[in-house]
Amino acid sequence: MSEVTIALAKGRMQNQTLELLSRSGIRCDEEALRSRRLSIEDTTGRIRFIFVKPADVPVYVEHGTADCGVCGADVLMESEADVLQPLDLNIACCTIAVAQPCARSDDAMKGKIDTVALRINEAGMLRVATKYPRIARKHFLEHGIPVEIIELSGSVELAPVLGLADCIVDLVETGRTLIENGLTITETIAASSGRFIVNRVSYHLKSGIIAELLDKLAASIVAADKSETESSHAENYK
Amino acid sequence: MPELLSKIPPGMRYHSGREARLRRRIEDRVMSIFNGHGYEEIVTPGLDYYALFERGMGAEAASRAFRFADADGSLLALRPDVTSTLARAAATFFSTRPRPLRLCYAANVWRANARSGAEWRREGKHLGCELIGAPDESPTRIESDVEMLSMVAAIIAKLDLQDACRITINNVGIFNGIAARLNLDTEGREQARRLIDARDSSGVQNFLTERTREDKDCAEFGRLVQMTGRDEMFTAARRIITNEQSVRALGELEAVWRGIATLELNHCFEIDFGDTSELDYYTGTVIKIYIAGAGTRAGNGGRYDDLIKLFGQSETAIGFMFDLDALTDALKGSNE
Repeated sequence: MSEVTIALAKGRMQNQTLELLSRSGIRCDEEALRSRRLSIEDTTGRIRFIFVKPADVPVYVEHGTADCGVCGADVLMESEADVLQPLDLNIACCTIAVAQPCARSDDAMKGKIDTVALRINEAGMLRVATKYPRIARKHFLEHGIPVEIIELSGSVELAPVLGLADCIVDLVETGRTLIENGLTITETIAASSGRFIVNRVSYHLKSGIIAELLDKLAASIVAADKSETESSHAENYK
Repeated sequence: MPELLSKIPPGMRYHSGREARLRRRIEDRVMSIFNGHGYEEIVTPGLDYYALFERGMGAEAASRAFRFADADGSLLALRPDVTSTLARAAATFFSTRPRPLRLCYAANVWRANARSGAEWRREGKHLGCELIGAPDESPTRIESDVEMLSMVAAIIAKLDLQDACRITINNVGIFNGIAARLNLDTEGREQARRLIDARDSSGVQNFLTERTREDKDCAEFGRLVQMTGRDEMFTAARRIITNEQSVRALGELEAVWRGIATLELNHCFEIDFGDTSELDYYTGTVIKIYIAGAGTRAGNGGRYDDLIKLFGQSETAIGFMFDLDALTDALKGSNE
């Protein structure tokens, strides 16, 4: 029986996390990884990985079914899960941003947030299409802007183009999808990156192995940072 | 009609058979420990004025309660927490009783809105105790804290959970001293508290470096709140913490730690400088109880010397409670 269970968000986050772990000596059998099994153990049998949908990672961890998990800060913010987040893995770095059709925001580009305020004066209520209803509602509420949230589960960029919404709140990585759909970022809400999260009870009852994992991961992150070229780094964090 | 009859409101449930018997047994065992330490059981009203809970728990926590209007229009709430009702009783009905008061309870509590996704139940039962009005001088103050912790340990031993349990202690004065030294306003304090509570190491580090360019002590504090441990924690903390308020709190915590060193179950206890939940409620020692098999905390408590004052009488108070659902979840798998 494994000592600790880690829930990983399926997809890119899963591969990047496993890569970080393998650099610190925690490896999974290649064949097991290629299989369609949703629960596999590492080569020592100490760690069990379960592969779930990103939004489900905080759910498993909050309930303690998984002791730890890896998911994006965006997913964490949206879930408002009561979990610990001791480590920023610095992978899958993106921003959560507000974007609007370019044409409409042209003259207001310098005006930052006022763009949005301007639009509601005309429409009475700002319509926001998003996969992140909680983050979006909270953000506009903090700025005193009344919004109507239109919850979508994908291709959010289409909504303003087709007139379903005035703007979108979405995760932006390179911004290419936005540009190709005629949208531009008008405001950044928060930065997002892969987070290592831990169940509150497990943090205390399995402190030994969890501290070991955290140390190993932290070391791998430093190593990964160093291997990146300094210049590209400076570019990213300007 | 049949499907209508079987419908129960979300978050409510039946307990029957083995589970119901287990709950009864756990409750009896916990209450027998309180009883053995001279704590008198008090049955408090399940329905009370909402204003009472708002005063006792703070507006945010109280707002999770079920609320409705009485026939005369006053706002009522189903009891979301027992401590507020006991604090009011201590300051009013029991105000002339000799001190200290030793009170305990096994009472149902209700919440309309959960604090977290794992807390789906809307009815729970708290088993707890309060020590009110003990003298505030230094030996008695420490003794009261130790009395609480030894009861926690006795309950854990009585339930045979000593190998699946961790009890953490901290003193809120340590954080408060640092916050005062950094001149944090209410918002900054809450932000720091939340980052520490979530063990967000990079978040804490960024927060502190922004504010402590020349203050190495405070920057180091970020590392301290990541660790839990035993005696070595005091050595580490003393190297970092220098402000008067934090040092005093640290001294008090160490005195309590020495007090429990003689307890049989002292291997279950740990120091956790990162425990910063509900800072505004507590005024000294804070206790958290974690048990394997229960996804959420099984119990918590601490010192709240400012609470009774809110009800008109200034005196010390300390208490803790166990969540019966969490204890049941933890013991369900065993051969109990």
